[in-house]
Amino acid sequence: MKEFDKNNPFKAPEGYFEEFDGKLLDKLAQQEPTIPKSDGFGIPEGYLDNLNKNIRLKLDETEVKVIPLTSYKKYYYAVASIAAITLFVLGLNWNSSEEIGFESLASTEIESYFEDNDFGLSTNDIAEMLPVDELEISDILSTQFSEENMLDYLNENLDDFEELNLEDNE
Amino acid sequence: MQRPDSQQAAFGVLVDTYKERLYWHIRRIVLHHDDTDDILQNTFIKVYKNIDGFKGDSKLYSWMYRIATNEALTFLKSKSKRKGMSDIELQNRLVDNLQADVYFEGDEIQLKLQKAIATLPEKQKLVFNMKYFEELKYEEISEILGTSVGGLKASYHLAVKKIEAFLKED
Repeated sequence: MKEFDKNNPFKAPEGYFEEFDGKLLDKLAQQEPTIPKSDGFGIPEGYLDNLNKNIRLKLDETEVKVIPLTSYKKYYYAVASIAAITLFVLGLNWNSSEEIGFESLASTEIESYFEDNDFGLSTNDIAEMLPVDELEISDILSTQFSEENMLDYLNENLDDFEELNLEDNE
Repeated sequence: MQRPDSQQAAFGVLVDTYKERLYWHIRRIVLHHDDTDDILQNTFIKVYKNIDGFKGDSKLYSWMYRIATNEALTFLKSKSKRKGMSDIELQNRLVDNLQADVYFEGDEIQLKLQKAIATLPEKQKLVFNMKYFEELKYEEISEILGTSVGGLKASYHLAVKKIEAFLKED
């Protein structure tokens, strides 16, 4: 018997097999008549109309930033002076020729000393010792404000200009 | 969007354009209005704060949908952890509470549908809701969830079969 030509004379369209799975799944998906089309969820009246305003309020709340404070370097030095004098009086040799000065102490040593020990000082005690006249704004705040930011803040939060208690410039 | 007031106006338009779609997307994940409201507002706040970092490598609404999805799923995970429940237990609890929910207006079959959806794995649930109720295209869902179109079609088909089987049970 003559052998038939085994080469397949038929051709499938290009990409047919690659797309077959997807088309079949799509067709299967169209067969679902039993699932309700509406899910039954309701919504409070006017909710969506007020949403924009509520988001705006929430954004305004989160935009008030908390400014981090640097360590009170001058506070440490002020209280250190009291503690060092106390130690000097109580525990040191009166006849010692050595002098203890702050220059020999690193600022980190002073800071750790106060962080590790509780002196029970009230804010009034600290305020009395702080050299207020010598304090700069940079001793308290690490973030420097631009003048524009300060003016905007004052504009939004000040009802009466007199509250600022500004004195005449010399 | 250089000036702050035009940026706010543009954001307002964005909220108005997408609030309804994102609301229902989130609602179908967490089921209850109050939770949805919190998540929706947090979503828009995240959008507002991160819009400058949006690189345009996907469509804007895909990016927003992705944020909304992640916020909703994170909310559910935190809630189940807080309550010491598994994810499935929480889902069942949320569905059980629907009957008493003043903002659920569905009938018995719609309640049963929510119970059916609650039995699905997370991915199938998302794909089902986005395809069946939200009528998103597979390509759009793929951009949002990061799953291939073929994988999504398979997930959807599986989800439909499971839901149909559940609805047919007594």
